[in-house]
Amino acid sequence: MIKSLWEVFNKEDLLECYQCARCTGSCPAAQVMNSYGPRETLLRCLNLGQEAVVTDERIWYCTTCHVCEDRCPQEINIPELLTAIFNLAAQRGNLPEKIKFTLDLVAKTGRSLIINDKVLKDRQKLSLPPMAALNLDEIEGILKKTGLGEIIDLS
Amino acid sequence: MKYAFFLGCVIPIKYPGFEKATREIMKALGVELMDLPFSCCPAPTNLKLVHYDTWLALAARNLCLAEEAGLSILAMCNGCINTLKEANLILKTDGRRRQQVNQALEGSGHTFKGEIEVKHLLDVLYQEIGLEKIAEMVKYPLQEIRMGCHYGCHLYRPPRIMYPEDLSEAASYVPVSMDHILAILGAKPIEYSRKFLCCGSALGTNIDPQAANEITREKLQHMKKRNIEAVAVACPSCFSQFDRGQMMLERKHHDGFHLPTLYISQLLGLAFGLDQKNLGLEDHRISLGPFLEMIPDSRRQGPA
Repeated sequence: MIKSLWEVFNKEDLLECYQCARCTGSCPAAQVMNSYGPRETLLRCLNLGQEAVVTDERIWYCTTCHVCEDRCPQEINIPELLTAIFNLAAQRGNLPEKIKFTLDLVAKTGRSLIINDKVLKDRQKLSLPPMAALNLDEIEGILKKTGLGEIIDLS
Repeated sequence: MKYAFFLGCVIPIKYPGFEKATREIMKALGVELMDLPFSCCPAPTNLKLVHYDTWLALAARNLCLAEEAGLSILAMCNGCINTLKEANLILKTDGRRRQQVNQALEGSGHTFKGEIEVKHLLDVLYQEIGLEKIAEMVKYPLQEIRMGCHYGCHLYRPPRIMYPEDLSEAASYVPVSMDHILAILGAKPIEYSRKFLCCGSALGTNIDPQAANEITREKLQHMKKRNIEAVAVACPSCFSQFDRGQMMLERKHHDGFHLPTLYISQLLGLAFGLDQKNLGLEDHRISLGPFLEMIPDSRRQGPA
């Protein structure tokens, strides 16, 4: 469980940013969401502190495309910062419903989509092998050891 | 040539036709695929963003399964490739992380050793099988159909992690593999503005499908400007944006793009003249009719 962004990301790196906005200018999420972008997120971290950022629901608009990292002239690893922000946000309960649903599904079934009768029928029609039976005890054991129980209920 | 076949979740569950098409083209190309009890990769757009340590450990478990079978992994989805390649690289190079993960795997009987590689279908086709072999198999060339390649993002960004052997110092990278393969299949790959813009899939899956579709819409508009007739993708999530996403966009904006999208294995299957009932052609929301009409010879292979 991390308590601060700066445990996993070097705060000094953020001071390299001179707000050129190349990142936000390239960001697909910034095109469809107001006042949002990597530049703004970075600035908020520095000016408003991490609590303001990790409690903001808009951070989840990121598509994880990595173009910001590609374009940053100061080579700041923006996705690494964002991943830390997302992880901390999740701990604070700032987690979109759809992500939580998928998480629960992966924890229970080992897969991120539901395998219903239609899926089984479609696979059979194509003469595809059946979906492999997963060792769910093994998977659950790993999830418990790595601490996913901090975020979702693993009972 | 033999690989551990990583199905992921979206293709076997949502688009099993793509899995079938991949199995068929690999059979035709003489590549053996082995099935193993892999779990969700886990997704770089989901679990990684929530709990990094769990993401790394589950990815490691998948890598261990392949290591124990002595095979490198072939994956069909950009998301899977992003997770598995990154996890593989981190665990191979960061001793502390490797120790941490192997501790988490202790009860399961797996130990990560760093013995295998991970490759996307596109790279296996382009680098391992090669264009010459693919060219030999083409029976029904794709009639110079104007195609726009959409590589997606997770396939090759960041290049220093996705292609560490060649691109560890690269600031940026422009992929060409799919364009070259399409040219060999007889299609006409066309450049278009914002070719390397994200499809927006993760945004749609996580919070806001309408916003995600607006991102895809921009790409479709640019493709239309260049008179592109069909889209080629290498990822099922990108496919969903261009196919189901386009259907939802049509209801809202009535753009009339009529741009069918095809997954790479489907395109090879069509050009190779494989039985079309094995290519997942029914899974498309944007009609493939006009596209298939452009490849007259392929109709002879159609379902009864």
